Amino acid sequence: MVKPQVSGPPELEGPMVEFTEVDPSTDRRGRMVFAAMVLLVLLLIPALQPFVGFYSYMLQLGIVALMWVAMTSSWNILGGYTGYISLGHNLFFGLGGYTAGLLLVHYGLSPFATALLAGVVTMFIGLVAGLITLRTRGPAFIISTIALLLMTSLIMDNWDLVGGSNGMDLPLPDIPLTWLKVPFYYAMLVAAVGAVLLGYRVQHSKLGLALRAIAQDETKAEVAGIDTRRLKVLAFALSAYFPGVVGAIWGYNLTYLRPTIFFIIGVAAQMVLMVVIGGRGTVAGPVIGAALVVALNEIAITQFGSTELNIVVTGVILIVVLLFFPLGIIGTLREKGKLPAVLDWD
Amino acid sequence: MTLLELSGIRAGYGIGPDIMTGVDLEVEAGRTYCIIGPNGAGKSTLLKTICGILKPRAGAVSFEGKEIGGLRPDQVLARGICFVPQDRTLFPDMTVRENLVMGGYLIRDRKALNSQMDRVMELFPILAERSAQLAQTMSGGEQQMLAMARALMIQPKLMMIDEPSLGLAPQPTVQVFEIMGRLRDEMDVTILLVEQNVRKGLEVSDWAFVLDLGTKRFEGPADQILADARIRDLYLGKGPSSKGEDHPPADTGPADEGIGSS
Amino acid sequence: MRGLVQVVILGLLLGGVYALMASGLTLLFGVMRVVNLAHAAFMLVAAYMAFFAFDRLDIDPFVSLPAIMVVMFLGGAALYRLLFPRIEGSPRYGEMTVLMTFGLAFIAEGLMSFFFTGTFRTASPSYATEAFRVGSFFIPTAQLYASGASVVLLVGLWAFLNFTRTGYGVRATMQNRTAAQIVGVDVRRVSTISFGIGMALAGASGALISFLFPFFPARHWQWIAILLSLIVLGGLGSLKGAVIGALILAVASSLVTDYVGSAWSPMTFFLALFLILLVRPQGLFGKEHRI
Repeated sequence: MVKPQVSGPPELEGPMVEFTEVDPSTDRRGRMVFAAMVLLVLLLIPALQPFVGFYSYMLQLGIVALMWVAMTSSWNILGGYTGYISLGHNLFFGLGGYTAGLLLVHYGLSPFATALLAGVVTMFIGLVAGLITLRTRGPAFIISTIALLLMTSLIMDNWDLVGGSNGMDLPLPDIPLTWLKVPFYYAMLVAAVGAVLLGYRVQHSKLGLALRAIAQDETKAEVAGIDTRRLKVLAFALSAYFPGVVGAIWGYNLTYLRPTIFFIIGVAAQMVLMVVIGGRGTVAGPVIGAALVVALNEIAITQFGSTELNIVVTGVILIVVLLFFPLGIIGTLREKGKLPAVLDWD
Repeated sequence: MTLLELSGIRAGYGIGPDIMTGVDLEVEAGRTYCIIGPNGAGKSTLLKTICGILKPRAGAVSFEGKEIGGLRPDQVLARGICFVPQDRTLFPDMTVRENLVMGGYLIRDRKALNSQMDRVMELFPILAERSAQLAQTMSGGEQQMLAMARALMIQPKLMMIDEPSLGLAPQPTVQVFEIMGRLRDEMDVTILLVEQNVRKGLEVSDWAFVLDLGTKRFEGPADQILADARIRDLYLGKGPSSKGEDHPPADTGPADEGIGSS
Repeated sequence: MRGLVQVVILGLLLGGVYALMASGLTLLFGVMRVVNLAHAAFMLVAAYMAFFAFDRLDIDPFVSLPAIMVVMFLGGAALYRLLFPRIEGSPRYGEMTVLMTFGLAFIAEGLMSFFFTGTFRTASPSYATEAFRVGSFFIPTAQLYASGASVVLLVGLWAFLNFTRTGYGVRATMQNRTAAQIVGVDVRRVSTISFGIGMALAGASGALISFLFPFFPARHWQWIAILLSLIVLGGLGSLKGAVIGALILAVASSLVTDYVGSAWSPMTFFLALFLILLVRPQGLFGKEHRI
């Protein structure tokens, strides 16, 4: 499309010009510039230390947001692109945390070093889990992900090696208190960028095309010659990597591991809510959804406190979005033709 | 008198494109009609729209002078239009008898239901033999007959049958068309038939509609249509609307919403 | 050997109750293809109703059970009408209903937590601590009564499905929704009624839970995971499979509790689920590629 020669963001200009030709390279350049700018801002945030009174709080918020971005982008590979909804995905999150925690407590290895390895462990578990559970489709698969989560939770709650329901306490890293959160922040940033990149690469690859075919009509995809079993399992495994990585970092950040932190289904619900709000099956959706929900959560908690009604709100929002905005923010904007090019990463 | 009238009907599946792009036709009571046409012409879609499984996106359907477009399938059935789908759509875990009872679901009077069942069993003796057999264990031909018998349970005024010979071996095919001939002669029911087996379909019919690309191309007496050169062109891919194939295409119809069949 | 038989007896009694719970779930799935992740949460709502009726008003759970069933039926029908018809034709219907019931589960849990707190509750009518002696075996009274009630309700369900016109309509819709439509079944009405019945069964189950098990709001996740595993084993959409799966797994989990400890009893269900997925993914009585 021929872009009008104006300075403001495209979405503020009205549809006055009749576009005649397509010029994707301008779009792509615009997106990359936007992404680079966002990345630059994120990289520089920790440098604000002298200017900001609530430094650790700010970094913590960033850590949380980036963590969720990594998790939602990963979940999206299976739940969004392939259409297989996993309601137990946080089991990888928890297993990553525990893996790194064990390596730290028993071998003194810093989770910053072992996080990527923890991801490999969870990816392997995802592979095995996928081989079993992806023998079914739709509802049976969803049920099996719930069973997987509860099973893992049960085991971790009763296994002495990992401390059972008391969990494990982790030592603090040897960093002055002011700057304590900084390495966690950057670690999460790396993970988030990695996860989003992974999602982007999958979306724009032949794998992504095949996964979308599976999501639309699996039988037809099979008939068309796509090895659906292999690709679904691959998607599952890929989606299990970064949750493990961020789990490792998060556990270290918390300095303790408890089954109730990692393995309760509410964590999976948050993941699902974020992706649904943002837009399933898109690259930008999980990111937007994660950022939005983290922000809203934070506002809600600081304004209203944290009560049992929080999960009521989660449920209500989920249902409302499903009924009225099933395509999420990105999807709905795109459908109405109002999606700004810088957010169109698909 | 005009029993069924369609004007300007457009319809499709889900959010997909229009399969029927504008269909007008009239059906008179007491005659047997056959709808023929190449793959993707919208023949099955037409029947589904009339019976209420699909809602028309535009246009009007009227039966006995009253508008029925947009009604639910059970409401359309109550007016006297029954539908025998392509995949028979029987109740797999119910017996022949139970399937027939379900066919008469709208009949509240038990006596009337039983007497109609006797009449139907008379017309289809094979079903009387196998009345306690599970529907899913029957052969293709028997299933087709059960599907038709079930549709007759409410003594419909209009019976719509979608590709009765689909997937049937020659012998059962002959039987099925024999039954249809008997229906035409003995029972007071108007039949609207979609058939891929053009010869057999036209043989048993009075009138033919030829559909292609979602509209009616032409119509006429069944025996004349068979000899019409335009038919050959349509099927053998020489006409302007063709897809360029030079073998008679099999009408598989779009993958639809029906949950499996027997 | 005697010990084994005792454990099996306990398992069978429990199985009756599990069968009741699972049947409600199966009905919903069979008729509407809805995996109701909120089923156990609603069971607990009913459990709280029965508990407070007993605790505050001295009403025995078996007495409040019918009333609870009626309330749940009406609530279920209303809930169905409110949420489901508008998404019926949607291409992503299956996923959407799962996520919607997922949301409902959280809403129910949050409200229960808010109003009733996380304290463990159990109603304790007199029979909850008694037991019959038959030979050298103990049959706990509470379990026996609960199992009896379950059997009565399941027989009632069976009778409804096989001897009433509406029941025929429900069975027909479960077997082939399109066929049901074309023979004149009002599938919208059937769906509403089925949802109501499913919820009524959840209500009955909840009333029984109130005195059989200690419960608290978040407990429903373990219940739903167990029940879902059970119906996958039995075959999604098969009532027969649900009942048989319930009996098998209840006995198995009783054995596990006896030998390894009660903490591991849910594991029985999960392992059975994965086993059936490996060996026969459609379940014992399910159809291949049912979905």
